[in-house]
Amino acid sequence: MERLSFHEEIARNRRSSLLLAVLVSVILFALIYVLVYAFAPAYVVLALPISVLFIILYTYGSYRYGDGVVLAATNAKPAEGRQYQYLRDAVEGVSIAAGIPAPKVYVVESAEMNAFATGRDPEHASVAVTTGLLKALNRLELEGVIAHEISHIRNRDILFMTLVAVLVGMAAIISHIILRSYRYGAIRGGRRDRRGGGIELVVLAAGFVLAIFAPIVVRLVQFAVSRRREYLADASAVELTRYPEGLASALEDIMRGNRGEMKVSEAVSHLFFVDPNRSPLDSLYATHPPIEERVKRLRAM
Amino acid sequence: MSWVVWLAVGVALIVAVFILVLVYYYNRIRVLGNRIEEAWAQIDVQLKKRYDLIPNLVETVKGYARHEREIFEKVTEARERMVSGGSREERMEASNELTGALRTLFAIAENYPDLKAGENFRLFQEQLDGIESKIAYARQYYNSSVLMYNNVITTIPGSWFAGGRQKHGFLEIPEEERRAVKVEF
Repeated sequence: MERLSFHEEIARNRRSSLLLAVLVSVILFALIYVLVYAFAPAYVVLALPISVLFIILYTYGSYRYGDGVVLAATNAKPAEGRQYQYLRDAVEGVSIAAGIPAPKVYVVESAEMNAFATGRDPEHASVAVTTGLLKALNRLELEGVIAHEISHIRNRDILFMTLVAVLVGMAAIISHIILRSYRYGAIRGGRRDRRGGGIELVVLAAGFVLAIFAPIVVRLVQFAVSRRREYLADASAVELTRYPEGLASALEDIMRGNRGEMKVSEAVSHLFFVDPNRSPLDSLYATHPPIEERVKRLRAM
Repeated sequence: MSWVVWLAVGVALIVAVFILVLVYYYNRIRVLGNRIEEAWAQIDVQLKKRYDLIPNLVETVKGYARHEREIFEKVTEARERMVSGGSREERMEASNELTGALRTLFAIAENYPDLKAGENFRLFQEQLDGIESKIAYARQYYNSSVLMYNNVITTIPGSWFAGGRQKHGFLEIPEEERRAVKVEF
């Protein structure tokens, strides 16, 4: 049963990732087409080759270097030296049990307890934990959390979640640029640019793109932290450590100790073990599944 | 006349399906069998690491507690058996005995504050702890690989294609380790 669901999960994640790539390609194409049409209508035939180039660059880049971007954005440092031997041993042990190669191990300097995994497949994967987590949890609890992250790697959740992180980050940058140029354009367009035309069209188009883009991105993030994914990773973690209490008590420690003040970019927050930006007690606007429910399910195993 | 053609097509289809199923199960049994070998290799790596660490550990402890001869002999003897031939079960048995002997050794070390405080000794202890938990995880992977293999070759239709292959044995978890997990909380 468990085996079956984990193969299904891999297939599902492959489909989601592919779908995401197609969706991004369509949006990028639309965006570039509109921009070329607005700025240089004469060169509109070039819109296709330009967007194909961009789409290839973007898709390959986020597939190949997405994990590097995520690790840089969270300020993760390689877990080197003897002080982290214990952590590296735990990661290596759990990955042996999962039958995947040992992922690279990183630490994030923070008093908050949290962890995440990123990468594109088990051969190119990384696990990061915060120093707060290392300090607060005992070995069995730590192995429970690591087993949850290793399960994300084995189930190929990491690829989809990393692609979403890159997309949300990009979308934030693009929105920022559009909003800036909107302000800039509004002033210029209103006072000097009597010709109207170009700039106003850009403003209109940008607003339009933004309007369809934003809800899709929000929805994607919600989809990326789907409850099914998290509960399944919890269940697979128990399959690996054979000790539900380790993960359950880690979650309880986190519920008591975390303030939700890690202040990481919203673009990567869905990768984390628990929501890094909100207190566990604040369930309004929650993107992650409630910790109480996760503990309850673990205790029922 | 045409019914002969239909019959031929039907037979050919059935044979084709049979061959496909045969190939699928043949490969699946092979893949799962290889997984068991790979799982054993993982255990073997950890056993070798532990084998290499122990002489230095014994030397370090001897420097402080020369007269605890009995435990040194026990450790050395189990260490030898852990890598010297024998079946997988026998080698794991020796490894479990070594785990027990090392626990006694570390308990004895508690009586020698100088030894306990030494940087070297603590390093050994950490490394051996790490290896021990990796052996436990590798054994778990081994056992779950064995379970999958056994399931395929003993259930229909896998058993039709198993060609008399025998079930693999599990690596038993030692009694004291089962208890140890419980008392840690």
